[in-house]
Amino acid sequence: MGSPRKAGVQLRKNLSLINSVPEKLRPLFGAGIFFFLMMVAFIIASPRVFLHLGIYSAIFLSLPLFTIVGLSLVFITAAGEIDLSFPSTISLTGLAFAWTLEHTHRNFFISAVSAIIVGALCGALNGFLVTRLGLSSLITTLGMNFALIGLTQILNNGAVRTFLELNDTAVRSIFVGAVGPIPAQMFWSSGLAIILGVIFHRHKFGLHTRVAGDNPEAGRAMGVNIEMTKTLCFILIGVCSAFTAIIGVLLNSTYFSTMGDGYLLPTLAAVFVGGTPVSGGKGTIGGLVIGAATVVFIQTGVVAAGLDGYWTSFGFGLVIVFSLLGHRRFSGRLTR
Amino acid sequence: MTSEVAPIVQLQNVSKSFGRVFALEDINLDFYPGEIVSLVGDNGAGKTTLTKIISGTESPDLGAKIMIDGNIVKNWTAAKARSRGIETVHQNRALSESQTIYDNVFLGRELTNKLGFIKRKEEEAETEKLMRKIGYTSKVWTPNSTVNKLSGGERQGVAISRAILFQSRLVILDEPTTAMALSEAAEVMAFIQNLKADGKSVIFISHNPWDAFSAADRFVILDRGKVVCDEPKGDMTVQDFIARLHGFAKEGRGSVA
Repeated sequence: MGSPRKAGVQLRKNLSLINSVPEKLRPLFGAGIFFFLMMVAFIIASPRVFLHLGIYSAIFLSLPLFTIVGLSLVFITAAGEIDLSFPSTISLTGLAFAWTLEHTHRNFFISAVSAIIVGALCGALNGFLVTRLGLSSLITTLGMNFALIGLTQILNNGAVRTFLELNDTAVRSIFVGAVGPIPAQMFWSSGLAIILGVIFHRHKFGLHTRVAGDNPEAGRAMGVNIEMTKTLCFILIGVCSAFTAIIGVLLNSTYFSTMGDGYLLPTLAAVFVGGTPVSGGKGTIGGLVIGAATVVFIQTGVVAAGLDGYWTSFGFGLVIVFSLLGHRRFSGRLTR
Repeated sequence: MTSEVAPIVQLQNVSKSFGRVFALEDINLDFYPGEIVSLVGDNGAGKTTLTKIISGTESPDLGAKIMIDGNIVKNWTAAKARSRGIETVHQNRALSESQTIYDNVFLGRELTNKLGFIKRKEEEAETEKLMRKIGYTSKVWTPNSTVNKLSGGERQGVAISRAILFQSRLVILDEPTTAMALSEAAEVMAFIQNLKADGKSVIFISHNPWDAFSAADRFVILDRGKVVCDEPKGDMTVQDFIARLHGFAKEGRGSVA
């Protein structure tokens, strides 16, 4: 009889610990605990790799790319929509960046602006199709993902564009140079996370975004322009995709039209692992940052730990399902 | 109401059709300052549609005229209606349940700094004051609680306090006492009288004929999209009122058969 009672007492203690966390912070808290447990597991499995700086430098190279575009996905998910077209938007805006670089004697500023304009236009088109024509965002952006990657390949025509002469330029070191062991893009993505976090949680645009996903009718009745809010969220994804593409091109000094491949599932996983529910109305930017770190650590960590690369997908699967279970436990119906 | 006072809202030739069905047909009504109008009628009579048109969430068919303070308004929207002092407590309360109480109270009219960031402390303090003023206080929640924690009556309190926070002149209450405990409903009825005492106009929709009768200065009875009665209370008794209500309902059914 003793041990079940003990277990009961223990469980109640655990629950009171959960209850002492403010409800708003629970998704963030859950994602943090999950990340911590995963890191402990990695360190136990392979202390040689995970107690050295090298792996972290490697992870910091690619983490910002997933974080930047993931931040914008928190907005659209909270707004009750989804965007599956961002991988192709990354490819297309990367092409816009590379093409303009080639045609403006490597003028970074004009090239970056053109990439951002192309990204914003892709987002505006998605927004128009979803909010004005009333199409499902899931299907519309799935179609757009195909259409935009097709368009990119038609325009690029198989070319690989290299910009080796950008190496050792000021622009490159500002965006992807290194400050000690930390790549510069980490600072950019952290800065963007802080700005978008404050907007999401404290600005009226963030509130309207959450209301759009929670109860759009309530928003409309109070005079909130729900359609415009959602369209701006799509545009934000286009702009963040362009930012990711610019950093990606600078990082490799090369553009290839498949650069957007491999973003779709890990980035979406980062959003949900981070504790933003798929049902809309809520979201957490801090959680996304942790979620992106979780996802990138699995991608890099599985291989670094000496496991076969095939284990990466298996690891993703486990992480997504277990983290959802964890969020359920912490936050009630949050993840439904 | 006396004719010297200019109406706040005038509706002329307002119709609304959904496909081939007329929800409203050729409505002509005026609403005056300081007047409580009970809008009654059967389910589907068009009460809610009418209030949605006044509050700008639904647009009428072509040819309708909406006049505010005697001026015709075009492209009437919810935001415009609120800026002209028309506030609505919708039947579904129009609350975003995952957001906090203060976010809901200020939704669409956030107190922000110049950059659009919400002044959270001020909104919380205002909300607290407001909820205390209308008597919906609770020890359980704070303005920072999310709406999904509240009971039906408390949610109605949030929706109502939102309607009076700003300089409202006409408050539309769509079925405010439905699904409420008796004591809560009594509070709402008392609150309606307070609104009148403050000089505000009220359009009050209720299924409960006693509530509708006791609150009102004037009755508008709708039947299948048409105004079939528009009378001041005068020395009408509740029996007269109910007789009228039933009379029109019967007449209506007779003509269908």
